[in-house]
Amino acid sequence: MTLSTQGQAASGLRRVWASAQDVLALIVMLGLIVLVMGRGSDLFLTSRNITNLLMDSTTVAVIAVFMTMLIISGGLDLSVASTTALCGVIIGAMQDSAGLWQGVMVALLIGGLIGFINGFLVTYVGINPLITTLGMLSIARGLAFVVADGLTIPVIDMTGQQTEAYTTYTQLSEGKIGTIPIPIVFVVGLFIVGLIVLRYTTYGRAVYTIGDNEKAAYLAGLPVKRYRMMTYILCGLGAAIAAVFLTARLYAADPRAAPNIELTVITAVVLGGTSLAGGQGSLIGTLLGVLILSGLLNGLKLQSVSTEMQNITQGIVLLLAVGIDQVRQGKIHLRRPWFMKAKR
Amino acid sequence: MSDSYPVPLLEMKHIAKSFFGVQVLDDVSLSVQAGEVLALLGENGAGKSTLIKILNGDYQMDTGVICIDGRAMDFREPRDAEMQGIHMIYQEQHYVPELSVAENLLLGNLPVGTGLIGRLTVDWKKVRAMAYERLQLLNLSLDPTSKMKDLTVVERQIVEIVKALSAEARIIVMDEPTAALTPPEVERLFAIINNLREKGVAIIYISHRLDEVFDIAQRVTVLRDGRHVGTAPIEDVTMASVVDMMVGRTLENHTSTAPLSSAKAVLDVRHFTRYGVFDDVSMTIRAGEIVGIFGLIGSGQISLTQSIFGAEPHDAGQLSMFGRRITIRSPQDAQRAGIGFVPIDRKVNGIVKGQSVRNNITLSNWRNLTRLGFFRQQHEKTHVSQWVDALGIRMAGGSDVPIRFLSGGNQQKAILARWLEANIKVLILNEPTWGVDVGARADIYEQLEKLAQQGLAVLIVSSDIQEILAVSHRILTIYQGRLTGEFARTSATQEQLIAAASGDMV
Repeated sequence: MTLSTQGQAASGLRRVWASAQDVLALIVMLGLIVLVMGRGSDLFLTSRNITNLLMDSTTVAVIAVFMTMLIISGGLDLSVASTTALCGVIIGAMQDSAGLWQGVMVALLIGGLIGFINGFLVTYVGINPLITTLGMLSIARGLAFVVADGLTIPVIDMTGQQTEAYTTYTQLSEGKIGTIPIPIVFVVGLFIVGLIVLRYTTYGRAVYTIGDNEKAAYLAGLPVKRYRMMTYILCGLGAAIAAVFLTARLYAADPRAAPNIELTVITAVVLGGTSLAGGQGSLIGTLLGVLILSGLLNGLKLQSVSTEMQNITQGIVLLLAVGIDQVRQGKIHLRRPWFMKAKR
Repeated sequence: MSDSYPVPLLEMKHIAKSFFGVQVLDDVSLSVQAGEVLALLGENGAGKSTLIKILNGDYQMDTGVICIDGRAMDFREPRDAEMQGIHMIYQEQHYVPELSVAENLLLGNLPVGTGLIGRLTVDWKKVRAMAYERLQLLNLSLDPTSKMKDLTVVERQIVEIVKALSAEARIIVMDEPTAALTPPEVERLFAIINNLREKGVAIIYISHRLDEVFDIAQRVTVLRDGRHVGTAPIEDVTMASVVDMMVGRTLENHTSTAPLSSAKAVLDVRHFTRYGVFDDVSMTIRAGEIVGIFGLIGSGQISLTQSIFGAEPHDAGQLSMFGRRITIRSPQDAQRAGIGFVPIDRKVNGIVKGQSVRNNITLSNWRNLTRLGFFRQQHEKTHVSQWVDALGIRMAGGSDVPIRFLSGGNQQKAILARWLEANIKVLILNEPTWGVDVGARADIYEQLEKLAQQGLAVLIVSSDIQEILAVSHRILTIYQGRLTGEFARTSATQEQLIAAASGDMV
């Protein structure tokens, strides 16, 4: 391409603008949702509802951080919601025998293990990620029912002997730092750490590189398989972390917990501009995606829209987001609308 | 010939186009007559592909006019161009490998039978007959029932041309059609091009192989840095004058200096074998030496180097470096051992296209650029700018630009930089200048020579005999997976090399 210092400055600015545009579009979308939902219901913009909305979105937000990295690297995990349910009931089942916090530790280990198995099957056995994690979705959900014996397990102090453990655990949902609930602080912290990892560390760069061109990464001497394993392990771990917060918030472990959450997570990630083709994406986009989706679903709920309609809406948003991604990848060619005719 | 056509079949006048504020084309014009081959020349990044994409309706020009038969056209998308009989034949081909030649020729247009049920089924007899008829247009003896994937590259290209013809193409653009062809195949292609000319088709021919251009084209148009440098009948120019026009400076005819004798062996390959691919290959590469492996495409040379680098398995054989046995099971092992590898097909295996030039350059040297897993940003930037200067990597907008915006030659330099940054002892290059323009090619050769003088051991695999003769100190020939000859550069002739690489033992 022709070089000139003028051209360099201009192209640099254009590029910054181009990437800012995507974020801006999401912010506008979020603003619209707030506007429309605020008009639809007086309850929507109350601080109580906003706090509730954010607390409810913790599960999705936590998993979405890890899912973003996984999808950027070219992977996918459908088993996260089942893993969350399984890890939750493990906490519930172990609280009396082994202790609450011991249960939490085991739940985190199991989450990581499920990620490890997913990663191993995808990376070393070569099974398609969709099929691998679809199988795991079924396995983990089934295991959750087995462990819980099909029942919801209350996670509250019934023996009176472990009061301190329970008080601390309850802080994970009721506690506040200043005026901000701990789960929200945790999510914000997690996003910041995620941003730093993706931007400044070898792991982050490996995630982008492998998602963009695995072959080139391999031929450059990168331990591609090890990094790929890592993304799956972390995703399973993320589902377990989400389970720890979810169980604390519900005071119960339910094998039916987090229904279809994988769909919400993936929708939020793709809506945030992370490409299912791999190699591109950002956590800022994901955060906005989570907020948009949570706002949308919460607003519909306040206006007494049925769960079925909410599910339909969410499905449509996912397909729209993927469609937009296809256009951006240049996989489909759109005719220019009349108002964007080429300059002559 | 052009006298008999007062109005050219195609005219592109005063075309300008900019991307992101960078002027890629500035007042470029070309014209081509029916029955004429126009060679469109220029270094990568000169604007050839942008110009072609504008002609094909992929991009919209900022200013300028495209006329066909003297009538101004408005191409909004590829379909518009296709309707005017413009057809592209790209280096990367688009076909369905599992389907037959006939099906690929008639794709989307398969004839159906008659009758109530027949209308729902494909009339295969008719498919074969129609395909045969179309192949006959060019007197081709190609079996319409053979699968695309079983054809040679040139045969696939021929199918593309037949497809273009049956779409009643009047203007065919060929982008590097001979990049993957052997000399006899090139001749076959040229025969077909001459046949097309007789039918009154206009051809725009893009190639980096100048000798071919002089064989096939009637006129040349040269672009440089997005500007039109000149258009001339082929009789009025010489190879040297065309290169000068393309590069804008006079290139020295590159030849490398004499090899160092009795330097220490860096990489030693013993009895390397992979059944059915390469067989009992032994060679030694010394410090400061550039060894070229010359062979026709598909002689096993690519698999050989991939196996040495650990990207493909081998069945038998040993490697040693500096006299010590090493085991390499993956590219990672090879990288640790100090072997660098410039793969064949840069776009697929080399660049990480969405990542910045900087990330691409430092990809193989994370260990020295990070602390506790965090990149030392300033350190990394300094390293990168050193290589950018040393290798003359040209890019608009600094090293943060995604590498896909660079021209082929500059991408290849970045991959070279990636390995030099990794501080390697041996560099293996596969067809390093495929799709790389003359100027960048000379830069790369010069760089290899400089690196050799600093003690790097270089192994270069190429099917381009000029390249092999220009850079190697010592040349090995390979035929059907076996080394068939060894020549000192000073004593080797083209005839000897080709004979040895074709299996004629000398």
